[in-house]
Amino acid sequence: MLFEVVIKSLVNGCMYALMAIGLTLVYGLLRILHIAHAALFTLGAYAGVIVANATGSIALGMGAAILSAGVAGVLIYRFAYQPVLKHPHHVPLIISVGLLIVLEDGFRILFGGYGITFNDNPYNTATVAALGITFNYVEIAMVGSAVVLIGTFMAVVNHTRIGIGWRATVSDPQMALSFGVDPIRVRYMNFLIGSALGAIAGMLLALMTNLVEPAMGATLSYKGLAIVVLGGLGSVRGTLLASLMLGLIEAMGSLYLSDHLDPNALGFLFLIAVLMFRPQGLFTRA
Amino acid sequence: MNEYVISILCIVAINTILALGLNVISGFCGQISLGHAAFYGFGAYCAAKLALLGWPFTATLLAATLATGLAGVFVGIASLRVRFDFLAITTIGVGFVFVGFVRKQKWLGGELGLTGIPHSGLSATEEMMLIVTAALLLVAFCLYLKRSWMGFGFSAIARDEDAAQTIAINVPGFKLAAFGIGTAMAGFAGAFYAYFSKAVLPDTFSFVQSVAILTAVVIGGMGSVIGVTIAAVILTLLPEWFRFIADYRLLVFGALLILMMFFSPGGLAGLLEKVSGGRKLE
Amino acid sequence: MKNRFLPKLVLATVMALAVTGAQAQIKIGFHAPLTGPSASDGKAAVVGAQIAFDWVNASGGVLGKKVELVVYDDQGKADQAIPLANKMIGQDRVAAAISGGYSLPTRSASPVFQKAGVPYFAAYAVHPDVTAGGNFAFRGVLLAQPQGQVMAEFVAREFGKKKIALVSMDNDFGQAITEGFKMAAPKLGLTLTKDFFFPLSERQFGSIIAALRAENPDVIVIAAYYFVGGPLVTQIRVAGLNQPIVGAQAFDATQFVSIAKQAAEGVFVVNALARDSKHPDFEKFRAEFAKRAGFDVESVGVLTYDAAMITADAIRRAGSEDPKKIRDALAATKNFPAIMGQVYGFSPSGEIHTPVEIVRISGGLHKHYKIIDDAALLKPAK
Repeated sequence: MLFEVVIKSLVNGCMYALMAIGLTLVYGLLRILHIAHAALFTLGAYAGVIVANATGSIALGMGAAILSAGVAGVLIYRFAYQPVLKHPHHVPLIISVGLLIVLEDGFRILFGGYGITFNDNPYNTATVAALGITFNYVEIAMVGSAVVLIGTFMAVVNHTRIGIGWRATVSDPQMALSFGVDPIRVRYMNFLIGSALGAIAGMLLALMTNLVEPAMGATLSYKGLAIVVLGGLGSVRGTLLASLMLGLIEAMGSLYLSDHLDPNALGFLFLIAVLMFRPQGLFTRA
Repeated sequence: MNEYVISILCIVAINTILALGLNVISGFCGQISLGHAAFYGFGAYCAAKLALLGWPFTATLLAATLATGLAGVFVGIASLRVRFDFLAITTIGVGFVFVGFVRKQKWLGGELGLTGIPHSGLSATEEMMLIVTAALLLVAFCLYLKRSWMGFGFSAIARDEDAAQTIAINVPGFKLAAFGIGTAMAGFAGAFYAYFSKAVLPDTFSFVQSVAILTAVVIGGMGSVIGVTIAAVILTLLPEWFRFIADYRLLVFGALLILMMFFSPGGLAGLLEKVSGGRKLE
Repeated sequence: MKNRFLPKLVLATVMALAVTGAQAQIKIGFHAPLTGPSASDGKAAVVGAQIAFDWVNASGGVLGKKVELVVYDDQGKADQAIPLANKMIGQDRVAAAISGGYSLPTRSASPVFQKAGVPYFAAYAVHPDVTAGGNFAFRGVLLAQPQGQVMAEFVAREFGKKKIALVSMDNDFGQAITEGFKMAAPKLGLTLTKDFFFPLSERQFGSIIAALRAENPDVIVIAAYYFVGGPLVTQIRVAGLNQPIVGAQAFDATQFVSIAKQAAEGVFVVNALARDSKHPDFEKFRAEFAKRAGFDVESVGVLTYDAAMITADAIRRAGSEDPKKIRDALAATKNFPAIMGQVYGFSPSGEIHTPVEIVRISGGLHKHYKIIDDAALLKPAK
């Protein structure tokens, strides 16, 4: 049983990772806590369900999710964050929170508070057995996407021109500019990719539970913040590891500690403990 | 004066005290705290538990306020280890851990919280006058604090912590003092809340509540006592006036946050400063 | 002199009567979560109660006057409820009030109404404190703990002396159901596995399901709202666990079936609304509800409809708008044919005595299965 719990928690961790990468990318680049990212996760899920139900194709739905969230993410950067980059720290933070509230309530008003479901979703009931455990197709997709997408992203960042340009922009925008890298383009890419990954996570969760509701991103977003900090300043590798770790801690916690502490709070408790001993996070080189 | 007006005045006063307390920590001393509701809750639970054990009204208020202040100093130690965004996230974490812990403890009522809190011994009007007077006194106190030597220490730290260190300001001491004072105020508000609502539940002190308090501080203008007070009053009364647009309430609230940050990041105080040609609103 | 004065007097009197007549409406206060996460339930609640009063007014009103529903948004929060209650009492001068909301606001508002001597009918809030403060509060549903006991009774009758796994959300509703079930289980010969609790925000139950598989119960009993219960039941079936599932009242929502789809087939729900109810007013209500709300009937709407109807009936029986007399009439309610189930009456502390409907989901619909009606089991303790 323990083995099954551990494996399933890693699946959860993969979803956290897909979600948290978006937060890490934005934080690494702009030092903004992009709390509104949760709304993009939800937007992706809504777009996905609506298109899938309208066209009968879940693949098209996934495409719609990625497209809508990617575009929305870039728009949010352009109109909500870019104008206030020079202001004190709390300004983009408050704007992000305000955006989240507006978008969440907007979803509720537009699509109803009870949430919407897929008309025809075979993926969360079709199963595959491996390692003596039953997985449904969505769980496989979650792990697969996380591995493929994040792996590709990391390969690009470390080994291609674009990737080097991105890293340069993170560490020193002025210098990057003087080398011909356009920081604005980089930022757009950043938000596009981060939001798209978040939308994929949202769509996968929607397929998994067969339900999309206005507030589905909220708790995940706060956990995402904890993951980003644990993983270290904008480190993609650190975020991935921290996500898996959080999935594991929560699964163990909900089995053994749920009498004493809400499992949702466990991640934060762990975070606080870590930060007191290692203020720079778990996976950064100090 | 009918009961409706009395209860509204109580809530306005409570929210003002909460915002003023956070303003000391984040506005005066620059230590961003997104878990202020946890201290509100700490004070409320302390007071509720003591009241249920038979302690009299004044004693509970005092004890809860002091205990919360101490808890605040303890949490403030975090601000000695991490700064800015990390501190923000740590304080978010403190908020979640508080609620997550409290909702599981049977002796604190668990999910159902503590109820049947004994009467304070004052009439509704007297209770209201108490909390409104307290709020006004705290406004005066904050104005005084801002101009005092401690306030100077706070603002030096808020502006540039490292520079403050070099001119021999006891940065850790001041930070902890800010946390202690700000959280004690939240604890006082929480203790009063316990008697006012006669029930104390975990969900009241969620992250959303912390955000609401921060909103009042930010919209008022971080560091401005009068600005924050006005903002707290207006933001409490706004949902009352907006009953007609009931369905779009949250939408409006979020939009207000965004618009205010765009047009006047210094909040109301900043706005008034521009309009009055540079005169600062305290 | 007299002749010129008299017509003026008559005219004045008629005008005075006309003016007071125009204001002669009986106001009933109502609050529900119109904004915030439970807004859909809030909408269902308002629609249900409004239909009731519209129909009452269409057939002549009460005591010759129209009843008016004065609606407020409690936002699902405790601190909104107190000023709202004060407003209803002090400004609107309601003759009675109905809570179309959840336990948090209802609990806070209840003492306010008690103190003011205004009867307060909680349509579906399950927290014990709502009626604990005095005899002016009434509740239209069974408390969660007795619901748990009835579930145990049903499980024992339906399946025999078996091994039961209790899986529940960790909020007060879930905990109270679990408590009630565990209280009744030993005498019924049911054995229990360890308790499984999860937070409301949980959507992936891998670890719980793994543990369930290891425990291997005969029946799985679940207390969860549709948005957690739906995914949970789906994942249970996908994992290959085929034990019968018995859900608490919270599985009543139509959305539960939309989410769980095939997995919902055969699930029993205790204390639910049978969508094939044979109550004479049900079909008419259902059609009207769907028209006004834009979605299919939910039990929340039926419960507020019943609450409104019972209140109107009580005013009629009281023969007066005096809140105290209305309270007495409510307390004296006997055998009222509510849609949700026959209301035998209320206990001295305001708890309802009514049978429990058990449905089984079949063809995607909540269909009537059984009724549990034992007075010994269902009559409120106090």
